[in-house]
Amino acid sequence: MTPLKITTRDTTTGPVLEIIGALDYPSAPELRDLLTTLTLQPGQRLILDLASMEFCDSSGITALIAARNHAQAAKADIALAAVPANTLRILTIVGLDRVFALYPDSDTAARA
Amino acid sequence: MCRTGQQPGPPGAGGEKTSKAAFAALLEDSAEELYESAPCGYLSTLMDGTIAKINATLLGWLGLEPEAVVGRMRFTDLLTVGGKLYHETHFAPLLRMQGEVGGIALEIKQADGGRIPVLVSSVIKYAGTGEPLLIRTTVFDARDRRAYEEELLRGREAAEAARKQAEAARKQAEADRARLQDALTVLQKSLLPDSLPTMPGMEAAAYYHTASVDRLGGDFYDVFAIDGKRWAFFLGDVCGKGPQAAAVTSLTRYTLRAAALHDPDPVTALNTLNKVLHERYSGGDPRYCTAVFGILEPDSATGQVTVRLASGGHPPVLVLRADGTADFLPTPGGILVGILPDPCFAAATTVLTPGDTLLLYTDGITEARTGEDRTTLYGDDALRAFATHYAGKPPQAVIKALTELLDDFGDGLDDDTALLALGVPAEDPPTKNTR
Repeated sequence: MTPLKITTRDTTTGPVLEIIGALDYPSAPELRDLLTTLTLQPGQRLILDLASMEFCDSSGITALIAARNHAQAAKADIALAAVPANTLRILTIVGLDRVFALYPDSDTAARA
Repeated sequence: MCRTGQQPGPPGAGGEKTSKAAFAALLEDSAEELYESAPCGYLSTLMDGTIAKINATLLGWLGLEPEAVVGRMRFTDLLTVGGKLYHETHFAPLLRMQGEVGGIALEIKQADGGRIPVLVSSVIKYAGTGEPLLIRTTVFDARDRRAYEEELLRGREAAEAARKQAEAARKQAEADRARLQDALTVLQKSLLPDSLPTMPGMEAAAYYHTASVDRLGGDFYDVFAIDGKRWAFFLGDVCGKGPQAAAVTSLTRYTLRAAALHDPDPVTALNTLNKVLHERYSGGDPRYCTAVFGILEPDSATGQVTVRLASGGHPPVLVLRADGTADFLPTPGGILVGILPDPCFAAATTVLTPGDTLLLYTDGITEARTGEDRTTLYGDDALRAFATHYAGKPPQAVIKALTELLDDFGDGLDDDTALLALGVPAEDPPTKNTR
């Protein structure tokens, strides 16, 4: 499993974080730490691109919820792009598929 | 100077003579000179101890002039109090008996009040008739040796102290670990019921699998009476592990218990829990749980039990029917408890007739990794298929079979797992509870 790597790029609609590798108990704090340094403007949309995310456990899910809380606190929006099938299955069980806006890829998420 | 170690001189009388002359020159030291300036102290005493002769080396150590010593002092006057005692009790008797004593450690007093540790050896000189005449004594400065011995002693003491310290630290660590383990055990117990209540017309069984003894689990369950007619049950999974998760588990358990007594409606109970968790843990450190909460209402006339439950992001419960089927009781749309201010929880209702059993579980079992390479998840379908084999069996039998299944997973089961089965006895059986 690839160690977590997060790349950040800014678009006109807001920042896009690409989550690469495993988002799990050991690595999830990286995303949560990164969020605290991320400035969001009201009305912007934070996009988490999960196309290259290989694994996500409950700590990873918690980090996604922390990202949502961070966006909400800034009066910004959040969307998940390209959620892997297994993670989508878990998000559906716990009801988060209706809490996060889900898109097939980050471009679609930015345009929506 | 050690002659035996010298290279033999060149052959020829002339060469030998030359080396002998050089050797004699080196020994121009007279016997008198050697006596006075030897690297040790010499003294001779009469048999009563009166000092008759003493060399310059010893006088130098003592800081005394010969006039003050010879004929005026006894050997014991040169010694410290302790030395005097030892001399009287051991040294002198031994010397009289054996005629000689060697290497006795004593201390001599200096004129300026200082002390010098010394090693003393004495021999008695006898007359031809065998009468003892005098005592010859050598005194070696033992300061270096004493310092060396003290150093050795200090070293040994330091090593001993270090060993004791390490031993104490090890014992302390062991005691701390034992105390921590005790605390963890007590905490873990407080998260689960000691036993399940006796419910007329119902049976219950539960099992808790702990994945790690050190990390408190986040799964929980409980069954308790609401009033004389109704019982409440819940089972869930708090995100994360360890003390923080255990704190949430504890808060969750007691909140649900209190909420159920206040208003036993399942959705209301989960809403109350949601409010508590959301207020307590919002922001950058979200804490939440999945939970199924339900109410059992047995009808003594029909023997049926009405089950009303609500789910917050928890896998659907299984209903094992007396007719040998097993199906999920769907609760779609329920969300994790604690993350939203205004969540939606999914309610469902079913009726258990004699021989039916309701099975609640946490995802430890469905997310267990199976197969040779441990990459396949056990999954919902496999669990339902497995449960079908035990449809119609009482809760104890269902839990026993699932416990064995969990054991078979081995290291493929890496999460805590809670199991709770609630059933209606098939035909006139006694009410019995096991954990």
